[in-house]
Amino acid sequence: MLTRRHSLLAGAGLALPGLLRSAHAQAPVPRYEPSPALVEAARKEGRLVLYTASFTEVEQETAAQFNKRFPFVRIEIIRASGGQLITRVRTEAAAGKLVADVVDHSDRALMKGIEDLFVEYAPPNGADYLETARISDRIWPRITPVWALAYNSELLQKPPTSWADLTDAARFKPGTLGQVIAPSGGTTWTRIMFERQVMGDDYWAKQAATKPTLYPSSAPLADAVVRGEVLAAPVVRNVVYSKVKDGAPVKLVYPTEGIPVCPYATGIPKSSTRQNAARLFLDWSMSVEGQSWTMAEQGNLTSLRAPPRGLAGFDPAVHKIWLPEQKPFETLRDPWTEEWNKTFGYRQ
Amino acid sequence: MDMHAGSLAVAPAVQVRPRSGLRLGWVWSGALLLVLAFLVIYPMTMLLLGALTGGDPVVDGYKLESLSLDTFRTVLGNENVHAALLNSLVACGGGTAMAVVIGLAFAWIVVRTDTPCKRLIAAAGMLPLFVPPLVGGVAWAILGSPKTGLLNIIMARMGLDFRVDLYSMAGMIFVFGMYYAPYVYMFTASALRNMDPSLEEAAEMSGASSLRTLMTVTFPLILPAIVSGMLLSFIVMLGIYGIPAVLGTPAKIPVLTTYIYTLTNWSPPLYGTAAAVALLLMVVTGALVWLQGRVLSGRSYTTVAGKAFRPRALRLGPWRWFTLGLALFYTAVVVLLPCLALIVAAFRKFLFVRDLASLVDLNQYSLIHFDRLLSNPQTTQALLNTLETGLTTAVVGGLLSFAIGYTVVRTRVPGRRLVDIISTIPVAIPGLVIGVAYLWAWIGLPGGLYGTIWILSLAFVARFIPDTVKALSTSLMQIHKELEEAAWICGRSTLGTIRTIVLQLARPGVVAAMTLLFILSTRELGSSLFLYSSGSMVMAVQLLGLYEGGNLSITAAYSLIQIMLLGGVIGLSHLLTHQSTPQPSSGGVGRAG
Repeated sequence: MLTRRHSLLAGAGLALPGLLRSAHAQAPVPRYEPSPALVEAARKEGRLVLYTASFTEVEQETAAQFNKRFPFVRIEIIRASGGQLITRVRTEAAAGKLVADVVDHSDRALMKGIEDLFVEYAPPNGADYLETARISDRIWPRITPVWALAYNSELLQKPPTSWADLTDAARFKPGTLGQVIAPSGGTTWTRIMFERQVMGDDYWAKQAATKPTLYPSSAPLADAVVRGEVLAAPVVRNVVYSKVKDGAPVKLVYPTEGIPVCPYATGIPKSSTRQNAARLFLDWSMSVEGQSWTMAEQGNLTSLRAPPRGLAGFDPAVHKIWLPEQKPFETLRDPWTEEWNKTFGYRQ
Repeated sequence: MDMHAGSLAVAPAVQVRPRSGLRLGWVWSGALLLVLAFLVIYPMTMLLLGALTGGDPVVDGYKLESLSLDTFRTVLGNENVHAALLNSLVACGGGTAMAVVIGLAFAWIVVRTDTPCKRLIAAAGMLPLFVPPLVGGVAWAILGSPKTGLLNIIMARMGLDFRVDLYSMAGMIFVFGMYYAPYVYMFTASALRNMDPSLEEAAEMSGASSLRTLMTVTFPLILPAIVSGMLLSFIVMLGIYGIPAVLGTPAKIPVLTTYIYTLTNWSPPLYGTAAAVALLLMVVTGALVWLQGRVLSGRSYTTVAGKAFRPRALRLGPWRWFTLGLALFYTAVVVLLPCLALIVAAFRKFLFVRDLASLVDLNQYSLIHFDRLLSNPQTTQALLNTLETGLTTAVVGGLLSFAIGYTVVRTRVPGRRLVDIISTIPVAIPGLVIGVAYLWAWIGLPGGLYGTIWILSLAFVARFIPDTVKALSTSLMQIHKELEEAAWICGRSTLGTIRTIVLQLARPGVVAAMTLLFILSTRELGSSLFLYSSGSMVMAVQLLGLYEGGNLSITAAYSLIQIMLLGGVIGLSHLLTHQSTPQPSSGGVGRAG
């Protein structure tokens, strides 16, 4: 089992370069310039089907931004939870009817298991990505969502600022905190792995003692925070970020003990009939332009070695990024999820 | 009215014309059986294989030596399955009890009293059946959430200490009871209309009070109808996903449908276990369908006499305003309140309501959610796909149902009983189960069915065959055989007779059945979930996506659009047929979702 110290070191590779950059000191972002041949080929294909485990609203924003540059490629989004998505991909592939042109999943271990389905692909700036965030020559971290603590700013005057605060049963009555269930997908698995490895073996029990309200994913939980159903909760930042920008009564803080991040796993299936449109979309997403945009507008982090910008509210002197090691990420999931379910009384 | 088409075989039947011959009869029923085998038997076999192998038969394949009952043993020994089953029985049992009380009272008020505005009340009271369960669940969550529900905010403002908590077993029972009371109403109102009032008059002449007559004569006489409506309500509730998903899940109260969905949603998903739990749900549902058939085969028509009579209307005097008030209260609670909740949620920028002043502050309202929804190309695509799927389902399903209904009700061709039985099986299969079964069964078929709207349409046709066959059979039963015989004597062929006589006379029923199919397929969620693709996304799936995506306001906006679409279809159908607006007497409308 990893010690707390070991875990933090594991995350250091991703943490160091990006967080030294201030949110206000940004260099001009280079524009992504694809080859005319790729653009023309993508134009002929005209559309692509994106299978994603990310949130629909978030990916619709991405599609809209991509279409500002390349309006001739229509993106059709199929969103499903992690489990359903991988089953859909496997079932369709087994039947020879995988219709996705890009598959985008939160669980790198599950994607590693089906990497043979994908073409060998590298974006033009592939060498600029951290090795620790990659698992294969076919699969890339298109987005790197980050966890944060969200709270209803109308109802909570003294917000939680640390993971430890979420175990304070005296401060939070039963049902006033929210939690996403462990088996919801790779992003949440990353968080509960962080909680146990960094916050200690007894963290789940202490958190469960506050009797949090459980939600199937960060999206309904974020909405519950806005509505005041729960006062505070750990959520994936990108699903709350647009609500904050719209003026919803919700604010975000980065907990002091560490911030779990979950690089996605994205690839182009061999069966894709629109490989050029898929490449254009992925190349743009992975480019400095695409990564800078998702950081600024969606609140994601990046797995680029040299992040193009900082994140608002993020102080590199205080906040530490945490990235799980790949091997325990694969091997510990089932037994630890089972334990989490028992600890939180979540039935299966 | 009975539930399955089987008992309709007692209707006046005519012989297929002698020249058609026995061989032609076998060819015809054989063709129908082949179609039904493809639509019903083959997918169910795949589901059983999935449960017996514990995996996804498409991905993992299946070998005879790997078949085992292990998954079933695990499922039957799993205390969480026991809990889900128990919760299902309690929620549906409680909901059914409430539905019986409301439905029976409503039927009595409408049929047997001189309460004013009865037709309006009767029509409004049926509306909940056309509201998709997920939409109903979302509306009541907005109203009755323990912390942020609009009802609680209003009560707090009024200084009341009482709080509503619909995220509970009681909440599910309440919403089930309110929404499925129309089933009991339909059955009991029909029985009350058909009942000879002389039986009640005899009781009263013997000195019994009105109340005693009601309790000792009227209700016992329509007991088969009550039991029938009760069982149908229970069966329908058992297969519903939307309401327990919205109201039960936050309170950690799994029922069988939400449990199955959770298993398929797991990372990685447990499809074999889901298939086994689904088969358990099918067994429970099938047993209830069988029980309902037994009840109906008994005394359901014994109150219908040969002589003409008018249903007796009890003069309530001033009390009629009280019964009117009760009926209006029910209508307001079940129709107006949820619609208001959806309107508030859909137009409010954020669904955070600090207090009553904030609730009525117009600055908090905007069209932002409709803008976002309608600017999303997926919404237009889903709307078009839904209309296309609905139309193809209505046409294909209407033709197939007519063929089955005609064969079962009006012919004596060999094998028609088997056709009847197989076409009734989907009654016992919840939508979620059918979705997995069809995915496994049809994804591997050559011809590119998967990924098109046709796979959805075929799934809907199969799922709703029992409902439409029965709706059509009712029309077919009303046509006397002499009319067909007259056409034959005049030299018409069998097909010519069907086209010129039967179809013409049954036209309102056919239109009603096809409209019913359209509405059912528009609402259907369970079987769509596993079969849609990027190009065949339908509204019900998009609605669930929005709900799971966590934005309740956009979900409410989309719910309003869906309700308006359904309202438009019902209105159009009413205009086309004047009187054949699909009455959900088949029990079908509420089955979807």
